[in-house]
Amino acid sequence: MDALTHLFQGFGAAILPVNLLFAGIGVLLGTAVGVLPGIGPALTVALLLPVTFQLDPGGSLIMFAGIYYGGMYGGSTTAILLNTPGEAASVVTALEGNRMARSGRGGPALATAALGSFVAALIATAGLAFLAPWLVKVAVRFGPWDYFGLMLIAFVTVSATFGSSPLRGLTSLALGLWLGLIGIDQLTGQTRLTFGVPNLFDGIEVTTLAVGLFAIGEALYVVSRHAFAPEKPIPIKGSVWMTRADWGRSWKPWLRGAAIGFPIGALPAGGAEIPTFLSYTAERKLSRHPEEFGQGAIEGVAGPEAANNASAAGSLVPLLTLGLPTSATAAVMLAGFQQYNIQPGPLLFVQHADLVWALIASLFIANVMLLVLNLPLVGLWVQLLRIPMPWLYAGILVFATMGTIAANPSVVELLLLSGFGVVGFIMRRYDYPVAPVIVGLILGPMADSQLRRALQMSLGDPMVLFQHPGSAIMIVIAVLALLAPFLFRGLARLRKEED
Amino acid sequence: MSFFKSRLLAACIAVAASVSPVVAQDLELSIIAPAGAGGGWDSAARALQDAMVKSGNARSVQVQNVPGAGGTVGLAQFAQQARGADDQLLVGGITMVGAILTNNSPVNLTSVTPIARLTGDPLVVVVPKNSPHQTLADLTAAIKGDVANTIWAGGSAGGADHILAALITQAAGADPSKVNYVAYSGGGEALAAMLGGQVTAGISGYGEWQGQIESGDLRALAISYPEPIEGIAAQPLKAQGVDVELVNWRGVFAGPDIPDETKAALSTAIANTVKSPEWQEILKARGWTDYYAPADDFAAFITSENERVGTTLRAIGLAK
Amino acid sequence: MQPPARPGFHRPTLIIGVGLFALAAVTWFDARSMTIRANYGMGADAASYFVAAFLAALGAGHLIAAMRPGIRAGDTDWAGVGWVMLALVGLIGSIWAGAGFIIGSTLLFAFTARSFGRRALPADLLIGLALSTLIFLLFNKLLQLALPMGPLERLF
Repeated sequence: MDALTHLFQGFGAAILPVNLLFAGIGVLLGTAVGVLPGIGPALTVALLLPVTFQLDPGGSLIMFAGIYYGGMYGGSTTAILLNTPGEAASVVTALEGNRMARSGRGGPALATAALGSFVAALIATAGLAFLAPWLVKVAVRFGPWDYFGLMLIAFVTVSATFGSSPLRGLTSLALGLWLGLIGIDQLTGQTRLTFGVPNLFDGIEVTTLAVGLFAIGEALYVVSRHAFAPEKPIPIKGSVWMTRADWGRSWKPWLRGAAIGFPIGALPAGGAEIPTFLSYTAERKLSRHPEEFGQGAIEGVAGPEAANNASAAGSLVPLLTLGLPTSATAAVMLAGFQQYNIQPGPLLFVQHADLVWALIASLFIANVMLLVLNLPLVGLWVQLLRIPMPWLYAGILVFATMGTIAANPSVVELLLLSGFGVVGFIMRRYDYPVAPVIVGLILGPMADSQLRRALQMSLGDPMVLFQHPGSAIMIVIAVLALLAPFLFRGLARLRKEED
Repeated sequence: MSFFKSRLLAACIAVAASVSPVVAQDLELSIIAPAGAGGGWDSAARALQDAMVKSGNARSVQVQNVPGAGGTVGLAQFAQQARGADDQLLVGGITMVGAILTNNSPVNLTSVTPIARLTGDPLVVVVPKNSPHQTLADLTAAIKGDVANTIWAGGSAGGADHILAALITQAAGADPSKVNYVAYSGGGEALAAMLGGQVTAGISGYGEWQGQIESGDLRALAISYPEPIEGIAAQPLKAQGVDVELVNWRGVFAGPDIPDETKAALSTAIANTVKSPEWQEILKARGWTDYYAPADDFAAFITSENERVGTTLRAIGLAK
Repeated sequence: MQPPARPGFHRPTLIIGVGLFALAAVTWFDARSMTIRANYGMGADAASYFVAAFLAALGAGHLIAAMRPGIRAGDTDWAGVGWVMLALVGLIGSIWAGAGFIIGSTLLFAFTARSFGRRALPADLLIGLALSTLIFLLFNKLLQLALPMGPLERLF
């Protein structure tokens, strides 16, 4: 086991007290900035990256790993407690997590998120250490037709987030698809629905939509109801910690989340969001308490949160082996590597073996550090809900808009953010689910460009989708998943008639 | 593993962050990077920030990201806010020239003041390692034979990669408007399509694919630079009988209508920075090629690039 | 909140349905005006036509659904919603007018707190000022994040 020896050497370097200190500082900083509402991991890492430049490559990479995992974790805290995910990958976490927090179970929700992140990151980091070279060979075989098949599956699973009415759920999805059209088409350069506004040429930023719909929409809705049904968030009911039942219901979703998140995260165009949707649907289908979904089911936090973190580690596979950043956070990481004259790519493991293995070892250490530092902090984060509501929501809005201002300080962007807030308010008011809008915005453009790339390569022949086994199988799965509920219903009726 | 011998001192410096520039010239600049964090112009702006402060050619430099529409959003904002200003710079490059034309941007590069061209990186034409095309001649023959089935992968539509694919197609004797160019969000995503063997050939910045070229996963057929570059085995297109050159250049601009002395002061500061060892070190670290040209040469260069890029984009059908 | 217009006729659903048709129409016309064609395969307009058709179908669905009684939104504190909107206008206005991040965020904080029924605007303005100044110093000075500058920011 060559990899194992390297890994031990990496640990040997990373375990030095001073490096442990760097890891600790990194985790703390990452969590502290990541926990601010509306500030996702990408922005967190981008903001804190310069801090690490002052160190030598080894020390800074270790701090960097801490910031990365800390930022990932911090993002889910606000999603759960305040229903304000700072990035699209925590949107699903907010669905069940915030319900739990509202019924006074914020502590267990945070704990299962932390433990799930830990377990998933552990598995995925091990996968990164031992499977990366093999996995990347499989991943690059994924053609546009295969991605299109994957998108179809993801689209079908979105229905799990629809809530009570398919009509309203589909309308939310359609709104997301419509927003996804806006901007310059990547393949042809044609502008769609931009109405000549240059700020729309790059399309709608997913973070702007997520923060607008969730943070601002939520604030508007809470305010509108506050005077009549003052809904004071309940800080804690029962224990902050997970009960035996919580453990029992969490461990399988953690493992499944990791199994879904890591391979999809490793795909060059997989992304972190799709695994969270898939995991949520899987948990809902497999749960023994499906009726609790939408009311605060712990599986719905454990699975997606594990998937999110596993895909974050998975996205390091194409980053390290191909130099290919697959998420905004990974793009910032790449910039970080280049700062030290390290060009991630096929030669990285050869030319900078010691650094790479030190980084992987630091990821393990940062992961443990995160758990050690953050589990005790769960109790503290839950106290956030004790802040009086006027100040709490005022603070949320200040940080949420600051995240947008920091990424793109333009008035148009802020107007969009506020506009999405109003849309989010109306949707909440008339019981339209919010998550499908974000799903539509993410999946729509991806499905569009992958399908068109496939057709461009086949010179317009649609059969290309069925000539490749991967895409053919995934399209069949998607169609089956779409039709299965109807078929089962039909079968059940048949059986009834036979009786 | 010497780099692990870090001391606590380093940690203290890290936490205190960088607020200790060498006091030299009194320039307090703000540079607009018309792209999001992590992109090419962003890293160029931050590299310039780093080099100017460390080499003592500016007291402080702030980088501001104004992303959008191939840099034209940043350009439009800059043209407005930096009019006559002595402390504002904008980073731009060849992609912006194309974006101005395809987006019908009301503001173009003639409305700002060119200060200096900084870097110019070669684009590289590659094929997957088990491609039947061994040489550039094989590839151009394939283009001439069947332009539709010669599938290219590269960055976004209308960008430098796309322009080069069209120019090569034209030089090979085929209709450039028929080029089958599959656009990806950047060199990275296109790389996966190359390695997966889904396309015939690919174009990207040399630095982006350097690792795969050196490891043998990709075969570099040619670079788009006019002359051979030291350390790059692939020869220029021109040297191989395809009369095409394209350099992915980046430069800095000052606002419109600045007084001559401001222009001179900014030009001098940049010229001194470019000569500094700090800047040279950054070029080496990032794999950028020095392509410095002073203000007047740069202005003339932009006029000719505008002409050339415009002609190609009209031929592809992306600009009117 | 809406008065029952006609028995069994749900007005919000009707309005959203009409809105969906309008969105579909805009998308359709936008797709028709596209000039850049793809050389091979499908053009950029295909997705627009698809979404337009999807929206139109959902619009029709809403018109049908409007025949049945729908969700009655609960009582709404429109004054509170108005204050939050004013808070956002305050922030955007400050950025637009070049008054900077601190003033903008202070207004945002104070007006949002007011929307929840707090009647201590001067105190909230002070808290907001302290909070946003702290954020500015932390992010701008320590982390070198370029937040919009105004008269207050230039003091530091």
